[in-house]
Amino acid sequence: MKVGVMIGDLLRSLFRKPVTQQYPVVKIPAPERMRGKLFYNPEKCTGCMLCVKDCPSEAIELIVLDRVNKRFVMRYHVDRCTYCGQCVENCRFSCLGMSSTEWELASTKKEPFEVYYGRDEDIQALMDRLDLESGSPHNKKD
Amino acid sequence: METTKSKDKFVVPIGPQHPALKEPGHFEFTVDGEIVTGATVRLGYVHRGIEKGCEDRNWTQGMYLVERICGICSHVHATAYALGAEQLAKVVVPPRAQAIRVLVSELERIHSHMLWLGVQAHEGGFDTLFMYTWRDRETVMDLLEMLTGNRVNYSANVLGGVKCDVTDEIASAILKGVDYLEERARYYLNIVTTDETFLGRTRNVGTMTPEQAVRIGAIGPTARASGLNRDVRVNAPYAGYVDFPVQIVTAQGGDLLARTIVRVNELFESIRLIRLIIEKLPPGELTARMPRRVPEGAVVSRVEAPRGELFYYLRSGGGDKPERVKVRTPSICNWATVMAVAIGHNLADMPMLLAGIDPCFSCSDRSVSVVRAGKEEYLTWEALRQYGIGYYK
Amino acid sequence: MSTLTSLLALTIFPGGLFLLANGLLYEWVDRKLVAQLQNRVGPRWFQPLADVFKLFAKEEVVPEGVHRGLFWGLPVAALAAALTAALYVPLAGLQPAASFRGDLIVAVYMLSLLTICLGVAGANTFSRFAIIGATRTLTQLFSYEAPFMLSLLGPAILAGTWQISAINQFAASHTWMLLIQPVGFVVALVGLMGKLELPPFDAPEAETEIVSGALTEYSGRGLALFRLGKNIELVIGLTLVSAFYLGGLTNPLSFLLKTLALLFILALLQSLFARLRIDQTVGLWWRVGALLALAQILLVIVLKGVGVL
Repeated sequence: MKVGVMIGDLLRSLFRKPVTQQYPVVKIPAPERMRGKLFYNPEKCTGCMLCVKDCPSEAIELIVLDRVNKRFVMRYHVDRCTYCGQCVENCRFSCLGMSSTEWELASTKKEPFEVYYGRDEDIQALMDRLDLESGSPHNKKD
Repeated sequence: METTKSKDKFVVPIGPQHPALKEPGHFEFTVDGEIVTGATVRLGYVHRGIEKGCEDRNWTQGMYLVERICGICSHVHATAYALGAEQLAKVVVPPRAQAIRVLVSELERIHSHMLWLGVQAHEGGFDTLFMYTWRDRETVMDLLEMLTGNRVNYSANVLGGVKCDVTDEIASAILKGVDYLEERARYYLNIVTTDETFLGRTRNVGTMTPEQAVRIGAIGPTARASGLNRDVRVNAPYAGYVDFPVQIVTAQGGDLLARTIVRVNELFESIRLIRLIIEKLPPGELTARMPRRVPEGAVVSRVEAPRGELFYYLRSGGGDKPERVKVRTPSICNWATVMAVAIGHNLADMPMLLAGIDPCFSCSDRSVSVVRAGKEEYLTWEALRQYGIGYYK
Repeated sequence: MSTLTSLLALTIFPGGLFLLANGLLYEWVDRKLVAQLQNRVGPRWFQPLADVFKLFAKEEVVPEGVHRGLFWGLPVAALAAALTAALYVPLAGLQPAASFRGDLIVAVYMLSLLTICLGVAGANTFSRFAIIGATRTLTQLFSYEAPFMLSLLGPAILAGTWQISAINQFAASHTWMLLIQPVGFVVALVGLMGKLELPPFDAPEAETEIVSGALTEYSGRGLALFRLGKNIELVIGLTLVSAFYLGGLTNPLSFLLKTLALLFILALLQSLFARLRIDQTVGLWWRVGALLALAQILLVIVLKGVGVL
């Protein structure tokens, strides 16, 4: 009949540093496959909308400014995204990627959760059009 | 709160909010002193309408929804759904993808069993074992994060294959992690079978004979602890288990100690399988082309979750959205085993009995019953919707 | 001026504020040691103090159907009992504030009064968890009281007196009782764990079974007073056992060192075992504990009669 079988481990722990990660003082970097915030590169985008179709939570909208000249702006809802990575998988031209460094996305305001991606002039054009429609300035985030 | 006294007994409620339960569920134990004389269970607090939600989403979106039924068995839910959809669409998944699916399944099994061991120790007041098993669980979560990109809800599957490949660097990291886990698993097996205080809480507690197990319909490690040979990976191999067969782990005794031993021994079996897969990973593609519209038909797919047999029924009408998705999770079958053996035990044994079947409440809630003015009734979706609309008017 | 010094001794040092601060400090040391043994970071040094402040600031919810006088009076009575027991014990290694023949019984009785207050408080509130917790508290009180008292009697018999200060003097001038009566020391240590409801004897307040046992319905001030009472019980228990078995407490430094050493052993024992069910606890105490303590006492009496000790 044995009691206190864990004594070896316990005494060893007395001389070891606690295994707790002292976040936020200490931040261990995430592995490179970690699925953090989504990023969009408009250079190769053809507007096929496969990413929008398969998103489980309708977090991506692709706004078409000019289909022939391939001018698109992506509106990404950070709060709706489930970080599943299906959009990245679907894109045939590698326009989408998920960051492994930006994953601390909590915020107390609503604004950081609606992100616009695209070429600067395209985003500006979209903002102007939205301002015209609604009459109040939209904030722009890149 | 008054005590309900009837014939010198009173009712102790465990749940829906109770430190013993990690998720809400309501159990009423009628006690006489410390001895339990009656037990009832009521679930339904975590019903989210996922089966209905799948009917509105296309096949790909549905897979991610179904993955979030449970945090700990998320990969097996997605695998069962994907296997069913692929069978309907007659898509042959490449062998490398099947092997990687099994690899992630076994890593998830290790994750789940280590979590369970910690919870069982915590219910028995053995907080030290709880802390140590959860510390070692971080190793397997880091491995999963390195391989798939997330610590829970791995999203490793796509319809037609998997998303994440195993590179050499990841393979060697997995082997190293698994070596450490095997050493710790041996240590925990030693503690669980020799420490007298822990044995005093688990030996001969909640004994379920094989006949009882068959009659109630127990599955998973709960049934295997009573000596039954029920394991879908062995009885009806699927995905990569055809190429990498599993040896079934059973124990005699049927008490909490046997269930603990079965789960810890399954850790060793999973580790052996992981090493084998990494060594013999077949080369090739990761995905196969999956059509957007799945042909008409109905299919049943069964996989072995860490808690038992997971059963999916998928019906397609030929479109890009499923017509019906029915999920039968293993925890539902095992509740009756607790209620059947609870009588005669101490109240102090109840949390350990509840934790002994490894309950996953989120998995169990598939329908909800409305109790109105003392009468219980079941509502259809449309009736429930009308009820909600009328309530807020 | 002696009334002034007595007043200061009662309220500031070594009683009163010092005693309360000592209780909070020892609670922190205990939690930090258990955390270190479990390979994690424990609380920071001001955590127990912060807990007390927070509890005093919270609203006290009185459940329906309780006897209000008892509900409010029992925490005060418990704290008062613990503080009274401190009068007879060599706190901080100094002479006890009051001392008379037979005060060992009074001190131990005062500590038991605290547990009884706990049990009555649980029975008073009608919550189902509290009633079961109260039953378990009183059952456990009934089972460890006899062996614990017997194990404290061992050194008393050798010293030939029931007065704590005299036993303290005797222990300080002779070899450590730990070496002469090792079995008694073990029973005293385990009895202390039962008295303080530390794991593995924490069935009366088993978190995963009955939420918080007898104290389930207490919040705010009442809970703070009960917790302070328990912390003081910890200090007094440690003082008694280390005064008797670890060679007496003669100055503040030896008080600190000996009680901390004992606290370390307690923390180690706390982390090693799973919780015992209440029927297992009672079985253990009445079968093993009481017999061991009795055997030790008989041995001491015989050896003293023969003239060896």
